[in-house]
Amino acid sequence: MSSHREAPEISKDPVADSTDVYAFVSPDRPDTVTLIANYIPLQGPAGGPNFYSFGDDVLYEIHIDNDGDGQDNITYAFHFQTKLRDPNTFLYNTGPILSLDSPNWNSRQFYNVTRIQHGKSVMIGENLPCPPCNIGPLSTPNYATLANEAVHEIADGIRVFAGQRAEGFYVDLGSIFDLANLRPFEELHAQYGMHVFSKPADGVNATAQLNVHSIAIQIPTSELLRPGKHGESDPASVIGVWTTAGRQQVTLWDDRRGESVDSGPFRQVSRLGNPLFNEVLVPLGSKDLWNSLPPTDDKRFAPYVAHPELAGLLPALYPGVFPNLQTLVKAGTARADLEAILLTGIPSGIVKGFQNYTGPVQADMLRLNTAIKPPEKPNALGVIGGDLAGFPNGRRVFDDVVTIELRAIAGVTVPLVDPTYKPDAAAGAITDGLTATGVPGGYLDHFPYLGVPHSGFSTP
Amino acid sequence: MPAQSHPEPTEGPSRRSMLRGAGAVGAVGIAAAVGVGAASGGAAAATLPAANNRAVAGAEHPADAAGAPLVVYLRDAASGELDVFSGTSHTVIRDPALVARLTHAVR
Repeated sequence: MSSHREAPEISKDPVADSTDVYAFVSPDRPDTVTLIANYIPLQGPAGGPNFYSFGDDVLYEIHIDNDGDGQDNITYAFHFQTKLRDPNTFLYNTGPILSLDSPNWNSRQFYNVTRIQHGKSVMIGENLPCPPCNIGPLSTPNYATLANEAVHEIADGIRVFAGQRAEGFYVDLGSIFDLANLRPFEELHAQYGMHVFSKPADGVNATAQLNVHSIAIQIPTSELLRPGKHGESDPASVIGVWTTAGRQQVTLWDDRRGESVDSGPFRQVSRLGNPLFNEVLVPLGSKDLWNSLPPTDDKRFAPYVAHPELAGLLPALYPGVFPNLQTLVKAGTARADLEAILLTGIPSGIVKGFQNYTGPVQADMLRLNTAIKPPEKPNALGVIGGDLAGFPNGRRVFDDVVTIELRAIAGVTVPLVDPTYKPDAAAGAITDGLTATGVPGGYLDHFPYLGVPHSGFSTP
Repeated sequence: MPAQSHPEPTEGPSRRSMLRGAGAVGAVGIAAAVGVGAASGGAAAATLPAANNRAVAGAEHPADAAGAPLVVYLRDAASGELDVFSGTSHTVIRDPALVARLTHAVR
């Protein structure tokens, strides 16, 4: 998964578990950038009566680095508070919820937005209501309209939304975690001699009917950039984005009150920039540590990027399919292509007309060149598909990051740094067999872009 | 108690280790939640600034400690140091005598 349940500790703490980060030039407001941080993975839509909500005890943040040092220059912080209208009913709602202030809605959630910049914190949104979860046609009729009421215009042309959305990240978890048995190529898998599969099959989207909680903010681009020229080739046009979640350092269970008590400063327990970084590249014994560190510490993880474990596994699992990759791995060649894509950005002169280089500091951030405008016909394969507005130039909600990263690790991006290398034919074809058009929740063409969440009533 | 040089922790205790520590009472770890007033009546402990490693910038609420529970965590009795948490603050105090009394009290 992108970063769902990716590390041992955070997998036990879903409300603080960041799952995906998106950063892109807003297609319908190209003078703005949209940033989305998703949390609470793999939500079954019918999960009541205590339907999913953000953690009141979690500090959620979206960070922006605009000068390439791996440290945030601007941070947007989100604090949530749950309010019960009636603690004497077990019900989430006692009738249809037709508005965000419906008297029938019992368990509501509100949030404040704070911008931290130049050492100063300024609250730019206060007591903003979240939408309810999508329960069903009796409890939440007209859900799309209701959720749209939770898009708030706040200071300085900024829009925010925080609430449930349909999972937009698509991936065949069942096949990938069954020893990377990609269904479209499963007959080529070594299968450990068991000969279970003899022909290819279609991918299965494991997240197809699941929801997630999104924090989305749309900001005028000019507010995010450092001073300077802001053309496509200018370094000042590039920002680095990541999200973190923090918890107070101490939690005690107060058995007299029947609730936990938190104390101490907030400490980071979850982090996410590029999809799959901690999930696929960082080894199990270091994942929790990675989650607690800032991007400026990522140099210590650079060897896992330069020598990804998966690159060695592919030739072993698919014998004879990746001979050139196998040679590359056996030679111990550091993957400068992956280091550039994930840790520094791609400098000018590598991909024609493109750069999102932030300098030599190695830091896992989603790097977005904000000067590259959205195309009329985007390609979900992003830069490797010839669409410079897609991943790894930021990340749009529909980008096929699983296929992009599988192909990159399989060697398709090596020629960016070594023109003599010839990728295996399979490197340009490898996929888990899914596309954005097959995502049943779909996407919106406007903020917050992720689709209307699946309803509990309608989802098995 | 005299203040002594305090080795800066390279990594603060994780939330999970705090939870584990809170449940474990013994020679190596004691955690206690008490009222603020109870703690202030103790021996004159030398207060040391806690290493504020990666404190979250957006989470500073200095005024909310008043009336909040106070949690004391004894990570290593041999060090004589106690981590004291209240509100969103973390203070390290060095008080070997208090540490000795605490460890004696839970035997």
